[in-house]
Amino acid sequence: MIEHLLVAPIVLPLGVGAVLLLIEERRHRAKAVLSLTAALALAAMAALLVARADIATTHIYRLGSWPAPFGIVLVADRLSAAMVLLAAVLAIAALWFSLARWHGAGPHFHTLVHLLLAGLNGAFLTGDIFNLFVFFELLLAASYGLALYGGGAQRTRASLHYIVVNLAASLLFLIGVSLIYGVSGTLNMADIVTRLAALPAADRVLAEIGIGVLAVAFFVKAGMWPLGFWLAPAYAAASAPAAAIFSILTKVGIYAVLRLWLLVFGGTSGAELLAFGGMATLVYGVIGMLASQSLGGLAGHGLLVSSGTLLAAVGLGGAASTAAGLYYLAVSTVGIAAFFLLIELVERAREAGADVLAVTAEAFGLRREETQPEEEVGIVVPAAMAFLGLSFLGCGLVIAGLPPLPGFLAKFALMEALLSEEGSLPAAWSVVALLLASGLAATIAFGRAGVRIFWATERVPPAVRLAELAPIAALLVVCVVLAVLAGPVLDYLGEGARVLHEPAAYIEEVLGR
Amino acid sequence: MELIIALGIGVLAGCGVWLLLRPRTFQVVLGLSLLSYSVNLFIFVMGWVRGGRPPFVEPGVAVDPRVFADPLPQALVLTAIVIAFATTALLLVVLLAARGLTGTDHVDGQEPGE
Amino acid sequence: MSSEWLLAVLLALPFLGSVAAALFPPNARNAEATLAAAVMFACLALTLAQYGAPARVDLPWLPAHGVDFVVRIDGLAWMFCALVCGIGFLVVLYARYYMSPRDPIARFYSLLLAFMGCMLGTVLSGNLVQLVFFWEATSLLSFLLVGYWHQNAAARDGARIALVITSAGGLCLFGGVLLLGQIAGSYDLEAVLASGDLIRADPAYVPALALIAVGALTKSAQFPFHFWLPQAMAAPTPVSAYLHSATMVKLGVFLLARLWPALAGTDAWMWIIGTTGLLTLVLGAYAAIFQHDLKGLLAYSTISHLGLVTVLLGLNSRLALVAALFHVMNHATFKASLFMTAGIIDHETGTRDIRRLNGLYRFMPVTATLAVVAAAAMAGVPLLNGFLSKEMFFAEALAVEGPVPLLNRALPYVAVAWGMFSVAYSLRFIHGVFFGPRPQGLPREPHEPPRWMRFPMELLVAACLLVGVLPALTIGPVLDAAVASVLGADAPEYSLAVWHGFTTPMMMSLAALAGGALLYMALRNYIARGREATPLLPPVEGRRVFDLAMATLSWRWARLALQALGTQRLQPQLRWVVVAALVAAGWPVYGRGLEWGPLPLTEIHWAFLLMWIAGAACALGAAWQAKFHRLAAIVLMGGAGVVVCLTFVWLGAADLALTQLLVEVVTTVLLLLGLRWLPKRVPFEPTRSGALKALPRRSRDLALAILSGAGLAALAYAVMTRPLPDSVSRFFLEQALPGGGGTNVVNVIIVDFRGFDTLGEIGVLGVVAITVYALLRRFRPPPESFEAQPPAARPHAEDLLVPRVLIRLMFPLIALFAAHLLLRGHDLPGGGFVAGLTLSIAFILVYLGEGAQWTEDRLAIRPLRWIAVGILVATATGAGSWLFAHAFLTSHTAHLGGLHLQSALFFDVGVFALVVGATALILIALAHQSTRAQRWS
Repeated sequence: MIEHLLVAPIVLPLGVGAVLLLIEERRHRAKAVLSLTAALALAAMAALLVARADIATTHIYRLGSWPAPFGIVLVADRLSAAMVLLAAVLAIAALWFSLARWHGAGPHFHTLVHLLLAGLNGAFLTGDIFNLFVFFELLLAASYGLALYGGGAQRTRASLHYIVVNLAASLLFLIGVSLIYGVSGTLNMADIVTRLAALPAADRVLAEIGIGVLAVAFFVKAGMWPLGFWLAPAYAAASAPAAAIFSILTKVGIYAVLRLWLLVFGGTSGAELLAFGGMATLVYGVIGMLASQSLGGLAGHGLLVSSGTLLAAVGLGGAASTAAGLYYLAVSTVGIAAFFLLIELVERAREAGADVLAVTAEAFGLRREETQPEEEVGIVVPAAMAFLGLSFLGCGLVIAGLPPLPGFLAKFALMEALLSEEGSLPAAWSVVALLLASGLAATIAFGRAGVRIFWATERVPPAVRLAELAPIAALLVVCVVLAVLAGPVLDYLGEGARVLHEPAAYIEEVLGR
Repeated sequence: MELIIALGIGVLAGCGVWLLLRPRTFQVVLGLSLLSYSVNLFIFVMGWVRGGRPPFVEPGVAVDPRVFADPLPQALVLTAIVIAFATTALLLVVLLAARGLTGTDHVDGQEPGE
Repeated sequence: MSSEWLLAVLLALPFLGSVAAALFPPNARNAEATLAAAVMFACLALTLAQYGAPARVDLPWLPAHGVDFVVRIDGLAWMFCALVCGIGFLVVLYARYYMSPRDPIARFYSLLLAFMGCMLGTVLSGNLVQLVFFWEATSLLSFLLVGYWHQNAAARDGARIALVITSAGGLCLFGGVLLLGQIAGSYDLEAVLASGDLIRADPAYVPALALIAVGALTKSAQFPFHFWLPQAMAAPTPVSAYLHSATMVKLGVFLLARLWPALAGTDAWMWIIGTTGLLTLVLGAYAAIFQHDLKGLLAYSTISHLGLVTVLLGLNSRLALVAALFHVMNHATFKASLFMTAGIIDHETGTRDIRRLNGLYRFMPVTATLAVVAAAAMAGVPLLNGFLSKEMFFAEALAVEGPVPLLNRALPYVAVAWGMFSVAYSLRFIHGVFFGPRPQGLPREPHEPPRWMRFPMELLVAACLLVGVLPALTIGPVLDAAVASVLGADAPEYSLAVWHGFTTPMMMSLAALAGGALLYMALRNYIARGREATPLLPPVEGRRVFDLAMATLSWRWARLALQALGTQRLQPQLRWVVVAALVAAGWPVYGRGLEWGPLPLTEIHWAFLLMWIAGAACALGAAWQAKFHRLAAIVLMGGAGVVVCLTFVWLGAADLALTQLLVEVVTTVLLLLGLRWLPKRVPFEPTRSGALKALPRRSRDLALAILSGAGLAALAYAVMTRPLPDSVSRFFLEQALPGGGGTNVVNVIIVDFRGFDTLGEIGVLGVVAITVYALLRRFRPPPESFEAQPPAARPHAEDLLVPRVLIRLMFPLIALFAAHLLLRGHDLPGGGFVAGLTLSIAFILVYLGEGAQWTEDRLAIRPLRWIAVGILVATATGAGSWLFAHAFLTSHTAHLGGLHLQSALFFDVGVFALVVGATALILIALAHQSTRAQRWS
């Protein structure tokens, strides 16, 4: 039975999402309980996957019992397992947070989240390139729903851009995949590698075109400059819990690049492209962080910074950098997710009169967005302001990479790996310089915002619920745990990265030779 | 034949890209649909077999794979069609909503120069 | 308990204390103070317990990067630990009386203890990364402590400036440490210190030194980074006394001393450290004379004294190092007590402005006496500790031999000048505050502070005296240990005697004392006029420059750059995507070219050609008309779709043709339903100017379009003219019947070989349907779109009678046909998807014919149910194979009597249900808008 653990992370959310559809809308409690339980179960499975990936590096699951490369295979190695776990953690936090008010702000929030999870896990686990496309579409479709969730002009406008750009990217994805099939005659990732190796030069050109087009699609998802301008506005406009989960979406693109690029190209050709694209993204993100007035913009550009850093790390470094990069990925994703959740509470604290306005709007029969809570559900927690300030500090530390939170360790590990690995030292140093500069920029931006919000003005403590504070605290605790366990985690990921960089074993496992 | 199909794909794609880059949401929707036509055809011809028979095998007859059209691209196209259909519908509704909320059908939610 | 344990506890205790302090109720002043004092005292005791016993604890931290968590104590670390804990203890005692009951005291002590912990962490770290770790943390805590009274703007600004400057320095230090680690091959302190020659020889030595120097000099407020320290004086006085005179600002010089064996001894070192220190030394002392704020005066004096220490460290002389370490201790004692004096005066009189203060001796003789002694130590009066280190400095100033001729020659004079300035501002501090006429118009009537508030000062002043009189007995051993821990074997011989006879340094001291007194006399009247500016110095204030730079760099330019590098408009973004794709596709071709395949072309069939001419025309027409004649565009696009569909038929892809056709129909219906809500756009004659303006943009887009089209065509052609690779399809064709149990290979692939794709795909359809539902539920059509269509146009007038009857008759037939398609799908064209679309088309026909009302009265469609059931059935079918211990989606054939049921069929049923649900939901939701709209119009 245990071998079905590989497919469970995809099937469970799919089924749960469907079941949640059957439950009537007004029965929020039932929905909430089921949804959260499922998310917790998912996390447990993911943890089990992670644990098993520790024993044997790659686990294979042949869907429909068809032999590879003909059927679709699922592959769980350390990278996939870790990503699945990360997604589950974010989902739990987001769902928990949404219980306060968001999950009532529109229809079928929980279903959307669970289908998104199904898509994410599918993308992380599949070993088949067209299947990857399908699950990309699933997670994107769900993300469209979540981006639009709550309505409002701002949100709809931002989502429109998000959707159109990503649809275009999806078409590129299709072109790339089919072209690869056209020359290699297979869709299984491992099989593609073996067959491409045997191609004559003329066909090789076609294959590389396919891969290049595919890469563009992934870069759009990862938000690489200049393909990522849609990201910050869309995420800033999305509802808090949605944005929190979105913080892993960019990482899906990076995951795909990491997986396919290392598998197909063995991390050789195109490295400069990745590195420079990553640096450009990093620079753009840093500028954006400094220039953004809203906290949402700060968070959105923070995401760009993190994916730029990752792309650069993947492009420049070897296994060690990849490992450090993965640690950084986990840390920054969790930190930014927590920040997205925090933003809503902080904003609520700022505009204390908002609810009054909403009420008067109601009284005069004016239109009122459902994003405004139906009624003020929060209770004034006395220590709320202190908590918000503390979490703001925490998120800032994680994102800026300052001690004592793990952002510092992640950046150190990354820089140390980049410098100590052989490879072009100037490029490595420029990435290091950019990383340090980005840390300073983040410090400035967060310092400015924090002073403005928490110190400059005396304000009434916001009405918040425990269900809103707890997930933020939980995510920050996850960060602390990551800091404490930095050593073991880095070792674990180091082994995973080594496997990624030596794909021979992976190929043999999948093709069962 | 090959030439015609290739050109057909090209024309569809070209029109699609042109519309995709236009400023009105409706144009963008049509553009994406045209593009998905051409991409579907593209996927389909990736398994091009000259005069290949439709992939229906008869019971009791030894299968000679060489005489059939490649079935796999067809299956992929089917999936692609469905997904394209879904996303087109979604985009259409989103643009309606955007139009309703922003009062314009410009892709940026505001007339240029505003 | 072993010394390792003591060490661990010493480091852990403050943090535990900090957490505990945070949990106290906000008004528990005494409890807080007691706790803090207890922790600090315990730490002091622990430190003393480890006197002269170097120890080291290694804990694994980041083994993958060869970094351990190393806590090690040696002479130098011990000296600083004692300083941090001792002064900390006194400051806490003092703060108990200083802080007002209204202050949120829990935060204060919690932060203070955390800061102390980080200080200990820095001085005790045996690993450079760890040192940076705690170093940055101290910057952060200093930020929080300076901003403690955040209701006043000065505190906020001071905090922000301190944060930016120090953390920027910290990041430079981080970079330098990385560089150092790369050179030395390890981050372990002892390893780095051991490989000093290697480091100094390395080409990367100078950059590393520069970066580390920036880190140290920012922390120790050296010119030109000094200006954050006066700004930080907005902090509560205990914080100023502790962080900004005694401990944190000493970290910079601590680091320089710590890394002395690894970095010092080169010309570059002397240039960077020595000259910076020299400048700071003089400027600080000079500026201090003209400050009117007590704390401002002390701040500049602190800057100057730190400059003194820096110079001494920069002289590359081992004796100078001794003097530097000695002066660190002395400065901490007298400066802390002076800050406490300032605090007391502020506390008792309500002002810190020297111009308003006068003759306080009458009111607080004891405090005044203590202050006088401390100030005398600051001025370097004999028999006080300040005098001794000053003498050493003068001796070194005379002896210096370096690559910087300016330094060599000017140092003695500079030293004397510095001495004069110090004397002058010390005099001003004492004379201006405590002597002279009675003070006029003070906010409060001053009097002696509480007994125990004065106690810390008494202790510190006593220390000044003791060390000043009996240096060898008191500070001697500590200094020896510290020096030994830095210099190891070649520690220099030196004597800590009070009296060396009438030496040149002695003369210099006397000159400085006399000169200082004269200088103060000369300047009294000028100062009394109360000008704010400092004479002879250009009026540029670091703070202003800083603010300007921040506003420009981190705000204005950033916003400009963002606009330049990015965009919020959709069209440029899409353009980028297209361009990126073209580049990605062109890159491999560039240089290598794209070869057509060897196969000969199949002959052209004229009908096919005609068909495609029409298709191309349709596509072009749609592109042309999409802006103004939407209806026409939709129809034309439908035409293109039909051509694609016919192509599928022609090439023997029946399933595709069928699906494409149905999708075509549904999409068209959707678009037609949607048209209604779009604004009317009347074709207008574009003005020449407008057309001209649009021309470049349009031609660029046209070029992109043509390029993309040509590219895709070329790719398709290149692949089509190639022989098919030995693809996996062979397996599908061979296994379809035996393995999959179906003759329609495509369908078998969809529901069996690659059923997992289909599962994801129906998921997509479902999500989209839900999203559409959610969107339209809150959809508000723009008002003007009601006039767009007059109600008469709505279909339930009698003129639709015939079609309505037909539809009623057709509905069951279509449904039946759908069922047929579904069942035969596995063997013939059809399948769940096609069937589902067919049925939903039947629904939509009924809707069109009868209107929403009639339909929903008769057949209650629950689209969401259909969707949910569809997904569940498909998933359950897949999971069913688990019962047979097979992988997900393994197909099974159950033989019930004659007919044999295939699990794949159930899967297809699931697809069917979902497609019906999703499509119906989308169509109905859109169709509903018409009926809803009427209610509002």
